[in-house]
Amino acid sequence: MLKVVVPMASAILATEFVQAQTEIVGNVDSKCIIISETPGVYGNPNPYQLTTAPTSGGVQPIIRYDVLAADFYKAVIEHPIDFSSSPNLDDVVTWSGDVEVSEVSDTNMSDYDTNKVEYDNAHEYQMTVAGSTWFKISSTADYGYNKSFPAGQYTAVVEAECIPI
Amino acid sequence: MKYLAFILLFVSGFSGAHELTPTYPELRPSYVSDVLTTNLKMWNARVDVEYYKIEVTDAMWNDVPFITEERIFKLSYMERREIEIFLPSDTTAQYICTRSMLDRGKFKSRSIISSKVCSKIK
Repeated sequence: MLKVVVPMASAILATEFVQAQTEIVGNVDSKCIIISETPGVYGNPNPYQLTTAPTSGGVQPIIRYDVLAADFYKAVIEHPIDFSSSPNLDDVVTWSGDVEVSEVSDTNMSDYDTNKVEYDNAHEYQMTVAGSTWFKISSTADYGYNKSFPAGQYTAVVEAECIPI
Repeated sequence: MKYLAFILLFVSGFSGAHELTPTYPELRPSYVSDVLTTNLKMWNARVDVEYYKIEVTDAMWNDVPFITEERIFKLSYMERREIEIFLPSDTTAQYICTRSMLDRGKFKSRSIISSKVCSKIK
C-alpha cells in the first residue's frame, strides 16, 4: 500500500510545486511619442517682424520626443516657411528659423545637435538613445523691405515627424 | 497651492502626445483574396487636436492606394483607436502614418505644432 501512496503523494507535491511557479512576461516595444509641450507665440518687436524670440515678446514652441528603444527612429522637425493663416499679404515674407535640442534625459544625447542633418527647413535627428529629448524651435518672419505687417492674426505650423528607420 | 498649480497649468499652455503602434507592423492576408491587411493602434493625448489623417506611402514618400474605414477620423483627447489598413498584395507601401489635423480658427497668432508619427511595414 505504502509503495503506491508514496509515489502518488510525491507526484501530487511535484505537480503543485510546478503550478506554484509563476512567470512574469514583459515586452518592450519600440515606440515613439511626440508631445507638444509648449505652443509658440509670435512677438511683434518691429512693425515688419514677427518672431518667437523671447527677448522680443515671443514664446518658442517646445516639442518633446519620447523614444522607448534606441536606434529605431529619426525625428524630423520643420520650422515654418509660410503662414497657415494670415491677413492678405501683397509682399514677400522672408522666413528664418532653427531647431535645437533644449533638454535631454540622457547625457549621451548631447551630440544630437552636432550630428543633425539640415535640408531646406527640415532638421533631421537620429534618435540613437532611448529617453526623452526636448526640441526648441525658433521662427522669424520679415515682411517686405521693413514693411509693416497688416493688422490681424498670424499662424504658422511647426511640423514634427517621427519615422522608423 | 492646489489652485496655483491649476492656474500654472493653464498659463503655461497645453501639452499633449500622439502615438502610433506597432512600429513595425506586418502585413497578413485578409479575408479577400489578393488583399493584405494590418492593424495599428493610435492614442491621442493632444488636447488641442481632435482629428487625424492616415497616410500610406512608399519608401520615397509617394502616396500609395489603400483602404481603411476613415482616412480622416475624429479621436478625442485620451481616446484610443484601432486602425485597420487594407492594401493590394503587390503594394509598394512602406510607411503608414497618422498626421494631426489642425483647426485654423482655433489658434491665433501662434506657432502651432503639427505631429506625424509613422510605422514602417516589415
